[in-house]
Amino acid sequence: MTISRRSFIKGGAIFGGGLAIGFNLSGCAQTEYPHFSATDLQPNAYIQVSPSGQVILQLYKSEMGQGVYTGMATMAAEELNMDPSLIIVQHAEFYPDFRDPEFYVMITGGSSSIKYGYTILREAAATVAAMLKTAAAQYLSIAESALNLKDGKVVYAGGEVDFATLLPIARGLATPTEVTLKSPQDFQYIGRHRQRLDALGKVTGKSEFGIDVQYPGAMTAVLLRCPHFGGKVSSFDASNALKMSGVKSVFEVDGAVAVLAETYWQARQAAGVVSVVWDKGPLAGVSSESLRVERHGMLTSEAGKNVEEKGEASAATGELFEAVYDVPYLAHATMEPMNAVAVATKEGIEIWTGNQSPDIALSEIADATGFKREQIRIHNHMLGGGFGRRIMPDYLVEAARIAQLSGKPVRLVWSREDDMRGDFYRPNATVAMSAMIDQSAVTSLQAKIVAPSILGGFVQFVTNTLLPQWLPKGLHKKIGGMASGSDPAAAEGIAHSDYEFPYMRTDYVEQKTTIPLGYWRSVGHSQNGFFIESFIDELAHQTTQDPVAFRLAHMAKDSRRRQVLELAAAKANWGNPPQGQFQGVAVHESFSTVVAQVVNVSIADGKIKVHKVVCAVECGMVINSDIVVAQMEGGIVFALTAALKGEITIEDGAVQQSNFHDYEVLRINETPEIEVYRVDSANAPTGVGEPGVPPLAPALANAVFAATGQRLRKLPLRLA
Amino acid sequence: MADLEFTLNGQQQTLSVDDGTPLLWVLRDHLAMTGTKFGCGMGLCGACTVHLDGSPIRSCSYPAEFVNGKAITTIEGLASSDENLHPVQQAWLEMNVPQCGYCQSGQIMSAVALLANNSAPNDAEIDAAMAGNICRCGTYPRIRKAIHRASELAVVQHYQPANTVKENV
Ligand code: FES
Ligand code: FES
Repeated sequence: MTISRRSFIKGGAIFGGGLAIGFNLSGCAQTEYPHFSATDLQPNAYIQVSPSGQVILQLYKSEMGQGVYTGMATMAAEELNMDPSLIIVQHAEFYPDFRDPEFYVMITGGSSSIKYGYTILREAAATVAAMLKTAAAQYLSIAESALNLKDGKVVYAGGEVDFATLLPIARGLATPTEVTLKSPQDFQYIGRHRQRLDALGKVTGKSEFGIDVQYPGAMTAVLLRCPHFGGKVSSFDASNALKMSGVKSVFEVDGAVAVLAETYWQARQAAGVVSVVWDKGPLAGVSSESLRVERHGMLTSEAGKNVEEKGEASAATGELFEAVYDVPYLAHATMEPMNAVAVATKEGIEIWTGNQSPDIALSEIADATGFKREQIRIHNHMLGGGFGRRIMPDYLVEAARIAQLSGKPVRLVWSREDDMRGDFYRPNATVAMSAMIDQSAVTSLQAKIVAPSILGGFVQFVTNTLLPQWLPKGLHKKIGGMASGSDPAAAEGIAHSDYEFPYMRTDYVEQKTTIPLGYWRSVGHSQNGFFIESFIDELAHQTTQDPVAFRLAHMAKDSRRRQVLELAAAKANWGNPPQGQFQGVAVHESFSTVVAQVVNVSIADGKIKVHKVVCAVECGMVINSDIVVAQMEGGIVFALTAALKGEITIEDGAVQQSNFHDYEVLRINETPEIEVYRVDSANAPTGVGEPGVPPLAPALANAVFAATGQRLRKLPLRLA
Repeated sequence: MADLEFTLNGQQQTLSVDDGTPLLWVLRDHLAMTGTKFGCGMGLCGACTVHLDGSPIRSCSYPAEFVNGKAITTIEGLASSDENLHPVQQAWLEMNVPQCGYCQSGQIMSAVALLANNSAPNDAEIDAAMAGNICRCGTYPRIRKAIHRASELAVVQHYQPANTVKENV
């Protein structure tokens, strides 16, 4: 196989090639690697072999629980014929090669790591393997065909030679331009290896998360931020705080107040006695309820932008059936609150943290501190949860600024309250779903979505990262504005579904707000899956058809969803729930992976009890089947929290929730039995971090309808 | 200032901290023992769970001066080495429990305490004992399985979360 240019070309183009960002295309750019080693075999940015013969993988995606640490080591190990546990995995620093082919920046998101890594990493590993084999052939004077790699050695009929011995020869070889990849039937580890490689550190307390990083002499910083979005400090009095034990300084930083002390407890106690007068800023008076009311008005007052139209409007005959759905803001609430260690000198800034996009963070820190990107280093660690939250660079920027202004090494630690109130939230959204029904035949399916745009706020980060730094900052905002009206995430999962009705149409109306929004596990699908799969269920009932049969009858013949839905229905014994229980179903494709779920519920004392979730998934070829199962389980639990409990409310421009007592998350005693089944597939692998989320809420709401006759069109689900 | 004297994973500790400092921050900031995690600071999530004379406590909400004369065990004190894990840790590995892993120190400490009192808990007993530990990654189904597995692996020859270490004080 010829090495695809994609994986080794440095840089990329944004917006369909409008602006190409060129990087050095020569094959000998190794000294640019942040992890460059003068003594290693290092033919690409991904995999190197040290003089002692150790194989080192640069983990260029962030491990936040989704399993890339294990998955990527497994893919690399396959081509090197070595047990994945023998590979040393290092968290990569930013390097242009590590930019995502889909997003053009170095980022972990969109469930894309395994999808692209499958080619990138096998090619990188096969290149290293080929060089070691060639070196061995020279060293032993044996034909390459008589040699094989095995667990960090080259083996042949008469014996073996280790990588360390071969390194001097291998380092002198030209990097091959073509390598042969193993064919899937020869895989030994892909699809077979089961153990999570990061588990040992996580059960012994030894894994290092950002919050665990020790830096000699680092002060702990806590930051008092304006509780009202967009607000800032007008004045503060720190005289009492400065008298407290361990406190070093209290100062203003970019509209907030920083308190520096020797320990977290001291800093937090002192912060509690700083009195601050806040300027509430532009969102004073804004509430989540006022925004909801505004959206409902916009359903009729605004035409919006047409995202998709299929078929002829004249085909939509019969009577109109319409339903309006709502979802609230949601917080990510990762278990590890935001934090970063920062050290600033005259030469630059160094950061230790856990983050999903060091690329974006470099640009934002550069902007905030006046240093160049090249003067900033970010060291990544294990992430105590990401779910999209850690794509944002805000907490790194804060730490960098505090370090810069104080001249001291600092560890910035957010409290849970800071985290809950300083998030970038899953947007709230309102959708009018409608259909025409002509004598029990559904002749159209239409959606009008009113929601704010995540992309509008986010694109400026990306352009700031990719466009030359001399471009005025205003331009990045402008590009963000251009992108926002047609944010694909706002309609994803409703538009371009493979349901088939004579007439189909989706429109999107953007609600302008400056409340911070972010990418939240499964993004637009997290709400749009609920909207479409609930409404499809309504249509099945309106036309007195079985919800599974109705879906099958209205999806494309070759739909990937078909087999997945059938498997889930069969395994769940669809139509025959245990006595006293009721079933609901949903099937949804997101991030190229299809998931169907059947939920069994009962109602007791006016409460919804979830007994069981049966889940079927098709995600192409599988790298680690147990991690696929774990991601489905985790996605289901995450989605149950959103369906049953999750709601961030805003009053006077400020978030009302603060900690796990008023933003509750699912606990073990509320967790149903979960069964996961996989549809076998030989297709290239697709991601599983997010796709387990979208079908859960509609399947659950549909089961509640079956149990009570109540159609709940608002999350979190509340029985009347 | 509060003078502290207690045993931590079998070793004597003597230090002074500000009055009212929670045990969590003594562990993390004064002693650089970072295996015990900060999740909520309000006793709501269990990430900070450690043992006080064998019983699970939320160290974020437990003033350190109350541990004087007592024995504290943290995740770092469960096993003598990676090759000789506690059965609960072993079961956690077998079941591939951790995802992000951030909650798992607390989960494991709660599970060890449960099994010390009830060597073969059923699902309802597991749920009752573990309901104070949040896992945002949703590893709960595996936690249940792993506790059953740990119970099979026989909690005998390893660390016993009882008052037995007390005489070291
Ligand atoms: S940090 Fe102690 S219970 Fe959450
Ligand atoms: S494993 Fe991530 S919070 Fe439990």
